[in-house]
Amino acid sequence: MEPIIQIRDVHKHFGRAVHALRGVSLDIQKGEVVVIIGPSGSGKSTLLRCINRLEEYEQGTIVVDGIPLDTAANINAVRTEVGMVFQQFNLFAHLSVMDNLMLAQRVVRHRDSGEARRVALELLAKVGIPEKAEAFPVQLSGGQQQRVAIARALAMNPKIMLFDEPTSALDPEMIKEVLDVMLALAQEGMTMVVVSHEMGFARAAAHRAIFMDEGSIIEESTPEKLFSTPSHERTQLFLSKVLL
Amino acid sequence: MPAKPKAAPSPPLDALARIPGAEPSAKLDAWWWLLVGVIALVVLLAAVRPDPFLRIIVFVRDGIAVTIFTTVSSFALILILGMVGGLGRLSKNPLIFGLSSLYVELIRGIPLMVQLIWWYFAFPSVLQQIGIAFKLPFLMQYRANPIAMAILGLTICYAAYMSEIYRAGIQSIPKGQLEAARSLGMTYAQAMRHVVLPQAVRVILPPVGNEFIALLKDSSLVSVVAVTDLTRRGREFMSTTFIPIETWSMVALLYLVLTLFAARMVAWIERRTKFER
Repeated sequence: MEPIIQIRDVHKHFGRAVHALRGVSLDIQKGEVVVIIGPSGSGKSTLLRCINRLEEYEQGTIVVDGIPLDTAANINAVRTEVGMVFQQFNLFAHLSVMDNLMLAQRVVRHRDSGEARRVALELLAKVGIPEKAEAFPVQLSGGQQQRVAIARALAMNPKIMLFDEPTSALDPEMIKEVLDVMLALAQEGMTMVVVSHEMGFARAAAHRAIFMDEGSIIEESTPEKLFSTPSHERTQLFLSKVLL
Repeated sequence: MPAKPKAAPSPPLDALARIPGAEPSAKLDAWWWLLVGVIALVVLLAAVRPDPFLRIIVFVRDGIAVTIFTTVSSFALILILGMVGGLGRLSKNPLIFGLSSLYVELIRGIPLMVQLIWWYFAFPSVLQQIGIAFKLPFLMQYRANPIAMAILGLTICYAAYMSEIYRAGIQSIPKGQLEAARSLGMTYAQAMRHVVLPQAVRVILPPVGNEFIALLKDSSLVSVVAVTDLTRRGREFMSTTFIPIETWSMVALLYLVLTLFAARMVAWIERRTKFER
């Protein structure tokens, strides 16, 4: 079957000095959950952000669900089908939780307000905070904000979800509530690409774990194998620092 | 350094606004009294010494209307053109960025009075020359309308400053807001309209309010290009009566009433938008 995400030889520079991605190629199948790990500056977030073209790349091709990321129209079409969750949540600060969930449904999907509201309430129940519909982002805890952010992305009925270090800005006691939502999503068969060092999540949900360093994919395997018996020296070195 | 903010870092402004007791209403009330005091002084002068004070007010009242009309209509245009300029200054397109930067730099380097004189005396001649060159009769006979040229001049000048206010306001909104909107499939225009600008508006309201009051005062310069505003009517009154102290004191007081009232309006709007939920 045709992979739902096809990344071919993607290069990305930040200015002249930093070669952030050095010819990355990667195929991700429909329904697959892929976790990307790697040291800070390894290019893992950059790669993720290339998939919905929040980051531009100079060389290579990315095709998502049969649509190449080339023209502005195609990029928007891909973004409509690809949800993204950010480290800093990025909820729209001036809108209530409900309006956060409804805005893109109205503006991009052209749903009427009744349907958008119905979808939003359904998803708020799913992420476990239906009572916060009328709250504003500042009134929520970090974990609640991130769950709203996940619901906001899901409201667009995406085929793929991208998670960019979704728990890195959270206090420890809030990490689980976010991971639980992600776990449930994985079990429903959502295609997910997750940049995260949450080994527990990776072991429980991921089909594949990828280790990146200095802009390249160094090693990929099942999470179990990658974490316990990494074959590459750099992977071993990194894991020895991360795993206690 | 592992930054671990508990909440999103973006909205300190709104957070502050919702803390009970943080609203500056007590201070605002005090400023209303200043406005009331100045109005009372004007009324008192007119009542105690109708000649010349009431005569002055009656004489310049159409000038007050012209001043308000010129200021308000310029300001509406400034808000629009300023946004265009501000977005241009943020554009990645080098041509758009270059043109808007050139506009801002040029205009900010020329005194407003010179600009107003140019639009009134030079610009119509430019149009006439073009009309003659291209045989366009409606341009050949172009006659400058003083108020239209004054509004044009004020708008072009103030919109350059307003562009920078818009630019700063938009830049103050965290980049993640735009990225989140774009990641949901919104176009740049949709993301600006629904996500970035509504937040930027709250940030730029105070400086925009200041611009309005500055414009109100600077509109007195249009009196040199044949607009019969409050200042020009004051000068006309003085040239027939030769009582400078009374005339210009009353004109100054009338401007003060306008600016103080405008300042109260701005403060009121600021408060409203902060609490609007």
